[in-house]
Amino acid sequence: MIPSSTNVFKALFKADLLVQWRNRRAVFMVLLIPVFILFCWKNALAKIGPYYILSTCLTIGLISIGLMGYSATVSRDRDKGIFQRLRVAPFNPGLIMTSKLLVQLMMIFVLTILIFLGGYYLDGITISAQGYAITFITALISGAVYLSLGQLITGLITNPESVNGATRMIYFVFVMVGMLGELGTLGDKFRKVSLWSPYGTVKAIISTGMQPGHWDTTSTQALMLCLLYAAVFTIIGVRKFRWAVK
Amino acid sequence: MGNSILTVSGLNVRYGHLQAVQDVSFEVKPYEIFGLLGPNGAGKTSTLSAIEGLLQPQSGQVKIAGYDIWQQPLYAKANMGVQLQHTSFQPELTVEEIINLYAGLYGVDPTLSLEQLGEIPLRKKISELSGGQQQRVSLLITTIHHPKLVLLDEPTTGLDPQSRRVLWEKIEAIRERGNGVVLTTHSMEEAEAVCDRLAIIDHGRILTIDTPEGLIEKYREDPEVIGVSRKGKITLEDVFIALTGRAIRN
Repeated sequence: MIPSSTNVFKALFKADLLVQWRNRRAVFMVLLIPVFILFCWKNALAKIGPYYILSTCLTIGLISIGLMGYSATVSRDRDKGIFQRLRVAPFNPGLIMTSKLLVQLMMIFVLTILIFLGGYYLDGITISAQGYAITFITALISGAVYLSLGQLITGLITNPESVNGATRMIYFVFVMVGMLGELGTLGDKFRKVSLWSPYGTVKAIISTGMQPGHWDTTSTQALMLCLLYAAVFTIIGVRKFRWAVK
Repeated sequence: MGNSILTVSGLNVRYGHLQAVQDVSFEVKPYEIFGLLGPNGAGKTSTLSAIEGLLQPQSGQVKIAGYDIWQQPLYAKANMGVQLQHTSFQPELTVEEIINLYAGLYGVDPTLSLEQLGEIPLRKKISELSGGQQQRVSLLITTIHHPKLVLLDEPTTGLDPQSRRVLWEKIEAIRERGNGVVLTTHSMEEAEAVCDRLAIIDHGRILTIDTPEGLIEKYREDPEVIGVSRKGKITLEDVFIALTGRAIRN
């Protein structure tokens, strides 16, 4: 008997949710960091503005989800042979990744809500209803950029410890160089690189998405670049991906 | 070939420059336990992986219950149960949750399988069970959808004699239900105890196929076999060593 794809997906998704729940400490840490930054930057609100604060925190959270959450889960499951065990069952193996991605998309929703709530309760930030709605969409697109980057890393690196090391290094470089470069601290050249990097473009569409009236050509270019990054990372990440370590 | 549960013909698997499996052909019939015996790196797991559809062979054909693993993968996989070398389950999940997961993946009711677990605690995480218990759960999941063909990759490695005996009985019970079983093993004792037929494989090639008794009988007079015999009595291990050599494989 060939099981229906819907039932297979339900079983996979339930298992992935349970795994996520059992690893709730790690999940908590991923969500805690941006909220903690939100809290720490409370006194800088007047100086750097609410949109800068919210978009930076959301961007950092999205990088954590894509790089640390997704790539860590995928490389761990591959290393333990969990994928191979699933792949011998009669269903399209694409459902395995779809289920994992859906869990991460849920994480993106939770993160976005947390940032909005944190922004309101910790820093007293409110934005328009349209701004909230558009930010959910830009957060999803931005999440896709970092999830695809996570896919690229797991496609290029098979050893889970190396994946872990690479994602932490990239996370650090993105956050530090992205933030400092964006502020111009590292010079004009780095500022330009930062603005059009996956960090800068993501931050731009999130920040402008919160204030839809300010959406301009640069925002559209940033959006296009985000989609391009996601497409390129996904294509290479999927092509290079191996289901097994050996 | 008509009533074979598994037909493997002209299978070739290559990793870069290494030819891991060379022109391997065999078949497995209902009510048969077929053993693949070989030293490390002989091509046992590669052969099994190609049968399971986990790696694409360069050439050859694999048919499971009449379905080609590459042309009709879903039907072929629905008729096959696989136990990999390691238990390969999510360590965060409990036994019950893993059984529910695989019951969902194969579209079957998990109730019967849960009842068959006996004293194994359902609420324990799979990683908290003993090696023997993990293998029993793994075997139960392998057969959760009552497949016609069961593939077992070194199922008893690392188990104590008691657990090994229990597992042998469970493997024999699968055969008694009319299914075909393919198992790879390093253990001559296991091969003799449970396998109806054996293929000795080395450097990716099948060197010989016969019943365990047939193999001993066939090579009894072979000078190489007599040369490696330790106590005058020819055993399956003597035949194996004579055919695959004394060199230690990594």
